[in-house]
Amino acid sequence: MKNGADYSPEISDAIVSFDPETLQRRPVVKSEVLQQFSQLGNRKAMRIVERIPDRDDVLDADAVDRLLVTSHCEMQRMSEEFQHGKRVGELLKPLLKALREGGLNRRIRIVDIGCGTGFVVRWLMANTYLGGDVDLIGADFNQALVNEARRLSDREQLDCTFVVANAFRLAQPADIFLSTGILHHFRGDGLTELLKQHRDARAFVHFDFHSSPMSPFGSWLFHAVRMREPLAKHDGVLSAVRAHKSRHLLNVARSAAPDFVSTVYGTRLWRLPIPRVFHSLVGIRREYNDAFVRNMGNRIASLGKIE
Amino acid sequence: MTFFLLWLLATVDSAFIGYRDAAGRSALIDKRHYYRRALLRGALMGQIAVAIAGSVAVGLLAAAPQPKWLFETLEHVATRMLMIYVPYALILIATFLVRAIPSVDIRSITSVLVFGPFTLIRPLVVLAGAIWGLLAAPTASVTLLLFLVVVLMLGMEYVLDRLRARGFFYET
Repeated sequence: MKNGADYSPEISDAIVSFDPETLQRRPVVKSEVLQQFSQLGNRKAMRIVERIPDRDDVLDADAVDRLLVTSHCEMQRMSEEFQHGKRVGELLKPLLKALREGGLNRRIRIVDIGCGTGFVVRWLMANTYLGGDVDLIGADFNQALVNEARRLSDREQLDCTFVVANAFRLAQPADIFLSTGILHHFRGDGLTELLKQHRDARAFVHFDFHSSPMSPFGSWLFHAVRMREPLAKHDGVLSAVRAHKSRHLLNVARSAAPDFVSTVYGTRLWRLPIPRVFHSLVGIRREYNDAFVRNMGNRIASLGKIE
Repeated sequence: MTFFLLWLLATVDSAFIGYRDAAGRSALIDKRHYYRRALLRGALMGQIAVAIAGSVAVGLLAAAPQPKWLFETLEHVATRMLMIYVPYALILIATFLVRAIPSVDIRSITSVLVFGPFTLIRPLVVLAGAIWGLLAAPTASVTLLLFLVVVLMLGMEYVLDRLRARGFFYET
């Protein structure tokens, strides 16, 4: 099954590089990025990369960071329009309740993987959506995005934490892993490896674009009318094209994280053949499953078969 | 009444231009104050645009050999423009009412079906209204006035963007 593996990478993936062990930023050679896009015939991406300043053919890290912060701000606008904070909160609530009913009587740690500028974490905290007995932590490799998340949360006096870290190697492990729009960045074995690292958690919720015949057009339309930054437009449309199919996500989750039962939430709208913009891969340890299903209430209609 | 309606639509449209110009530039969560100012800024810019178009219209009337005829012609043109703009505006207003329902899915649908596509087609709607009006009286003065109106309606977002780039309304 073709699952987007042949598509061009997103520019935001190509213009930054981090050492996965030390998280140190590595220099990115502009000509190599341009050559990569040239070989893929992606002239639009080449034009965008060409405009990024460089020093001796190494992309200027500050300029790249400014570009990424601006793009994340524009993406947040789209998240707000599509009520993404509330969407995440509505799924986390029954999950948290299930963990409580399953005997977890301490503060629950939710870690947002690849949080960027931390919109979801900040929204949940600002709207006190999950109650006071939850720690919300955003983790990202990119110092500039984390700095921006911290600046914004300080400005609004939000009690959430943002760290430059590998989300799977935090001193205190997560109870629930959360993410938005990162799954499609992981291809092939990368996706399997990502989901294997959930072994110490109790649940995970990964939101991403829902792959449907309409999604590339829909994504193009919204990025055309709502985004200004060419990088954000380019990557946004490509994200929808590269999105994994629900079945593929489930197959990978069930083989990579066998301790969890998993399902996809929100593929169809009200059980009608109308695709949603976003869906989410949900995994929960078996002992919490019955309580989770019970707590879903009428949202159970949007939940796929749990296995 | 016709000119009042046109002014009202121009003001509301300008307010939303102000909103669109501000959207995606602040990553704060609570942006009520930020957007209120953006709406107000857009509406005020709209008054400047209306004043420019109104001044030109008054100038044309003053210079016309038959001002009464030109006034009636402009009123007829404006009525035809409203035939395009009012349905567009009514659909948007109705969609805002639907969006008031506190459902994530319903609100998302309003964006997918109306707000997104209607933002995309807005320039075409602006042009369609002007052309439909022009067809009623394709004279030089009407053409000049409608050309100016279209430029003002479509150019305001660019002007706001340029003013922002020059630091006229610094916000984070």
